[in-house]
Amino acid sequence: MMPKSKKQRQLFYVVPYSIWLILFVFAPLVLLLFQSLTTSNGDFTLHNYAVYFASGTYLKMTFNSVWYAFLITLITLLISYPTAYLLNQLKQKQFWLLLVILPTWINLLLKTYAFVGLLSKTGTVNNFIGLLGIAPQQLLFSDWSFLLVAAYIEIPFMILPIFNSLAEINPRLEQASHDLGANKWQTLRRVILPLSMPGIKAGIQAVFIPSLSLFMITRLIGGNRVITLGTAIEEHFLVTQNWRLGSTIGVILIVAMVIIMILTRDRVRKSSRKRG
Amino acid sequence: MTNTSTPIIEFKNVGLSYDDDEILKNIDLELEAGKFYTLLGPSGSGKTTILNIISGQLKVTHGDILFEGNVINDVPVEKRRMNTVFQDYGLFPNMNVFDNVAFGPSIKGLSKKEIKNKVTEMLSLVKLSQYADREITELSGGQRQRVAIARALANDPDVLLLDEPLSALDYKLRKEMQYELREIQQRLGITFVFVTHDQEEALAMSDWIYVMNDGVIQQNGSPEDIYDEPINHFVADFIGESNILDGIMKADYLVHFTGKDFENVDAGMRPNERVEVVLRPEDLDLTTIDNGKLVVTIDDQSFRGDYYEITAIDDDGNEWQVQATNKSKIGERVGLTFDPEDIHIMRFNESENDFDARLERYEDDVDDAKK
Amino acid sequence: MSKKFRWANIYLWFVFILLYLPIFFLIVYSFNSGSVMQGWSGFSLKHYNELFSDTRILEILVNTFLIALLSSLLASIIGTGGALYIYNLKHTLSKNVFLSLNNILLVSPDVIIGASFLILFTVMGFALGFTSVLLSHIAFSIPIVVLMVLPRLQEMNQSLVAAAKDLGANNWQMLSRVILPVISPGILAGFFMAFTYSLDDFAVTFFVTGNGFTTLSVEVYSRARQGVSLEINALSALMFMVSLLLVLAYYVISTRAVRSKKRGTRLVLPATEGL
Repeated sequence: MMPKSKKQRQLFYVVPYSIWLILFVFAPLVLLLFQSLTTSNGDFTLHNYAVYFASGTYLKMTFNSVWYAFLITLITLLISYPTAYLLNQLKQKQFWLLLVILPTWINLLLKTYAFVGLLSKTGTVNNFIGLLGIAPQQLLFSDWSFLLVAAYIEIPFMILPIFNSLAEINPRLEQASHDLGANKWQTLRRVILPLSMPGIKAGIQAVFIPSLSLFMITRLIGGNRVITLGTAIEEHFLVTQNWRLGSTIGVILIVAMVIIMILTRDRVRKSSRKRG
Repeated sequence: MTNTSTPIIEFKNVGLSYDDDEILKNIDLELEAGKFYTLLGPSGSGKTTILNIISGQLKVTHGDILFEGNVINDVPVEKRRMNTVFQDYGLFPNMNVFDNVAFGPSIKGLSKKEIKNKVTEMLSLVKLSQYADREITELSGGQRQRVAIARALANDPDVLLLDEPLSALDYKLRKEMQYELREIQQRLGITFVFVTHDQEEALAMSDWIYVMNDGVIQQNGSPEDIYDEPINHFVADFIGESNILDGIMKADYLVHFTGKDFENVDAGMRPNERVEVVLRPEDLDLTTIDNGKLVVTIDDQSFRGDYYEITAIDDDGNEWQVQATNKSKIGERVGLTFDPEDIHIMRFNESENDFDARLERYEDDVDDAKK
Repeated sequence: MSKKFRWANIYLWFVFILLYLPIFFLIVYSFNSGSVMQGWSGFSLKHYNELFSDTRILEILVNTFLIALLSSLLASIIGTGGALYIYNLKHTLSKNVFLSLNNILLVSPDVIIGASFLILFTVMGFALGFTSVLLSHIAFSIPIVVLMVLPRLQEMNQSLVAAAKDLGANNWQMLSRVILPVISPGILAGFFMAFTYSLDDFAVTFFVTGNGFTTLSVEVYSRARQGVSLEINALSALMFMVSLLLVLAYYVISTRAVRSKKRGTRLVLPATEGL
């Protein structure tokens, strides 16, 4: 197929892409919204939303999701920014960056599964602290273990955009800052940090939104409790088969996501994300 | 060069190597306070490296850097009382014009009011008073250049380092900025160290020029010295236009080239020493065949506004660049003439010190002759 | 200065150890002669033997790679077309609208993508299985490719296009000889990312996979809840080695390319060395 005119060429580009847009972007969102707003007979109803907002459990769960996602993002950011900054000063920085990315190629489930072994009551961590004379702790199925594993999974996705935005900063600016009398710390705070803001925002997006909807880690590490919106949706779709309520929670999750997007909008370009 | 006061910056046998690459070889230099210095040379000659060593961005492999008599090899960049105008300006894109200029003063911990005064003063110095609130991206190249100068000067440096700051500007703007920079330097009375590869720029602005090539200072002197008495082939070729020919100093005041003997003003060389002869195009005149010291054939000419640039070929096949006021005919045979003092002799492998010694001897000779 | 740098190194070592600890843990236990990831009973290769004789897990592995390869390939083609279309749009507004639409799936939580695709397939009466998983993976990979290709198009030298037109290139020649070579690094990066996303995906697949078909992630999830046999560790070890080799190969190739490029443009500012 050899398009001749410009119009034909445009069609050639756009037809498969448009089919994708309609079928896999519009349709699923519309269907989700439709599910949440109808009864099984197809009549309009706000019943599902009423159930959601009247239930203390769901509201608490929503708060929990946001709170955990916030903590995960914060921990990840605090570990990742210095890492990205220091990596950027290494000679073979591209090589070290690849080593940061490499763990993301190991299947997510396998890594999570490793933590089950590490953290279990007779696992390696407990054996280790046992050597220090501390009695075995219940590490698995706690909020801490959930935060630890989630942060572990997300760290590369925070480092990557921050590293990229740091690498894009003209090294001349750091020189100029020193030249004007600023020491390393002042340069970091007044020049490097503001200029790497787009990377930080991209990193927050890449970590916060997936963290809102984690369900696999919650199930395996967090002790199979339904504590986040992600777990609730999975529960309703795949266990209790209450798609309408599941869709309602989904719509609420989307709204939360849009709010985050607006808050971290400006100039975000390269974003990478994690599925989990 | 004799000066009793301590030089503001001094290099003592400074060298810099990366692995086996010798970037700078045994550099010695002394800069006096309050003067406009230029480091001139082609790219890769080591001139920017010297600037980065002065500012502290680069550490040397051996030798000492002194500031007002004190060794500053290990003083970090931010502690040196010098500021730099970078080639690509290095303006902070996250700050507007005001904040860029205010950066240095605010790091120093000046009060809000002092900072505002300083920035206002600097912006008016570079004629950008109206632009304080502009973003950097909204400025033209020339305006960015001015912000960079204002930002560097806002720190009240003792030395301002300028790394090819005008290279990105167009011809007219460059001329304008040359004039303004010189004026700013004279008004503030601080030392400027200016790096450029543009010999015209160097000649126009400087009190003193260092010509660099291959990590070595080839020659230093006032613009007039450098232009009139280039020490070697490189300097003669790099500064201005030159006709450079092989010759033989037959005796004092007698040089042989293009198969003829010419009277000149150089002396003190071995009899029949092989030398290079430099004649500047503007020192040559075209005349009738009878009046000419040489006979040449006009090969090409182009109009340059205030003169004609003529290429002529003598009977030995040497090519001559001549700047003439009158138009010539291509193919015409004409005479070429010049005065004895326009013939400049360069000895092979003569160092700067040898050269200075020879120059003094020549001056003594002249004095003796007068007596 | 040097002391400070030592602290920096210690910090980086700490982060790298943290990143690799679970992975090495998995690998070490793949050689355990015992049957659980607790307590070391001695060295053994028996879990590797189990793995190679477990046709079910090998079949799942083939499926997982097949899905990843097909989905990233198709997504690369469709996504590149989309990027070219968005790039050619004249109005900034319509450009922004398309870009926002493009990014919806990229920023949506997986659970939402999975759940809404499940509704879609059910409403359309589409049977869940290989095809539904493949379509889903293509769907979430397309925006990644678009996002990787678009910057390359925007960086493309406009005079290059003008020159090609001036020299009489038709649309097809323009695409194949001028545009595609310039944006091919972007397409490759997109393909690569789509491939890893697909391999790694769990949540979306979990929703749309149905009963008959399964990928590695889903299989590990369902086994993990009852306690996994160490042959999964053996599998992880093998997959890690493959990834490591790929990374090293990629690094060698890319640094060689950079070096040979440098040779040509020695005097160009070192600051231009980007990613």
